[in-house]
Amino acid sequence: MIDALFNQPDYLAAKKQLDAIALREDAIASNIANLETPGYKRLDVTPEFNAQLQRACADGNSQEIAGLNPQIAVDPNATAVSPDGNTVDLDNELLEMNKNSLANTMETQLITTDFYRMRMAITGNAG
Amino acid sequence: MIDILSGVQSTAAALDAERTRLDVIAENIANANTTHGPDGKPYQRQMVVFESALKQAMNGSQIPTLQVAGIEKDTKPFEMVYEPGNPDANSQGMVAMPNVNIHEEMADMISAERAFEANLAVVKNSRAMALQVLSIGKH
Amino acid sequence: MIPISSIQPLMQSYGVTPGEGIAPSLPVTPAEQPGALAPAQPPGDSFSTMLGNMIAEVNSKQVTAANTVNNLQGGGNVSLHQAVIAMEEANVSFQLMVEVRNKLLDSYQELMRMQV
Repeated sequence: MIDALFNQPDYLAAKKQLDAIALREDAIASNIANLETPGYKRLDVTPEFNAQLQRACADGNSQEIAGLNPQIAVDPNATAVSPDGNTVDLDNELLEMNKNSLANTMETQLITTDFYRMRMAITGNAG
Repeated sequence: MIDILSGVQSTAAALDAERTRLDVIAENIANANTTHGPDGKPYQRQMVVFESALKQAMNGSQIPTLQVAGIEKDTKPFEMVYEPGNPDANSQGMVAMPNVNIHEEMADMISAERAFEANLAVVKNSRAMALQVLSIGKH
Repeated sequence: MIPISSIQPLMQSYGVTPGEGIAPSLPVTPAEQPGALAPAQPPGDSFSTMLGNMIAEVNSKQVTAANTVNNLQGGGNVSLHQAVIAMEEANVSFQLMVEVRNKLLDSYQELMRMQV
């Protein structure tokens, strides 16, 4: 019973997104730290992850969602910004950082709401 | 030790590196006109050499980190300026000026500042995100 | 029997009609969900088995939470949100178990008060 309680697809998807967001935070920090390192290629979560997560959510398949594994890799779509091959564009990175931060806010609020509802159902009050 | 703020190891290294760079630039600018140093020679421009080292990130992958490999003297030749009244002038009246180009130094300083501020923003952002995560479940 | 009111919405989602209350031989079938990890109980399986399973699951959640937090404190490969969420899940599971225990106690006392 307990396992089923925490096995809802939406809840699992929010947890996976948080995993990806944490990885993205690392990647963006590394990109900005290496802003001027010659030849550095920008890192990001693999673009396939989002597509896989969307598909799994559309299927409503909890096991598929739980089995997803976001990874950091070199961004295949980034182009060289400076002659030494560095692909980090600072404005873009700062934008991504802000987007990531907002996504973090949203997912944490989603999960908090889930817990709030579970508590309501169990105890009849919010505490 | 708890690694709560993820991803800031490379940021801390970059902040260090950019600070060093700013210090070196400040020294270059301050000595742009020093024709006679403690060793009797004009001031030689210093430059910071960066290198990229690999550090272990949290999920086991290697993340490149910026660090200072060393501070080297710029071997560009001194500029010779005709100034016969100068006590440092040689027999032809030429004075060797430090090989510091103020415009280059200012441009360098701006980009070092930019990188420094950006990395600082990363740390602030990480902290804000961690605080949000810590408030999961509390309403 | 007084239906367990605050557990009602939860039990409804598992296919138990409120008002029937909990009887020792009531089959408890978790709602059909693709990929649900809890095994479906065969009809007629005892209530004590269900309780035993729940206690085991709550315990495993507590153990997972403790391990995750220890891992985080030791500087391991765990991120902050995983530790926080593991702790919350353990808390909610424990609360569920405590509420079930409370309601069972109430029901038992109600039963004992019945005139024979």
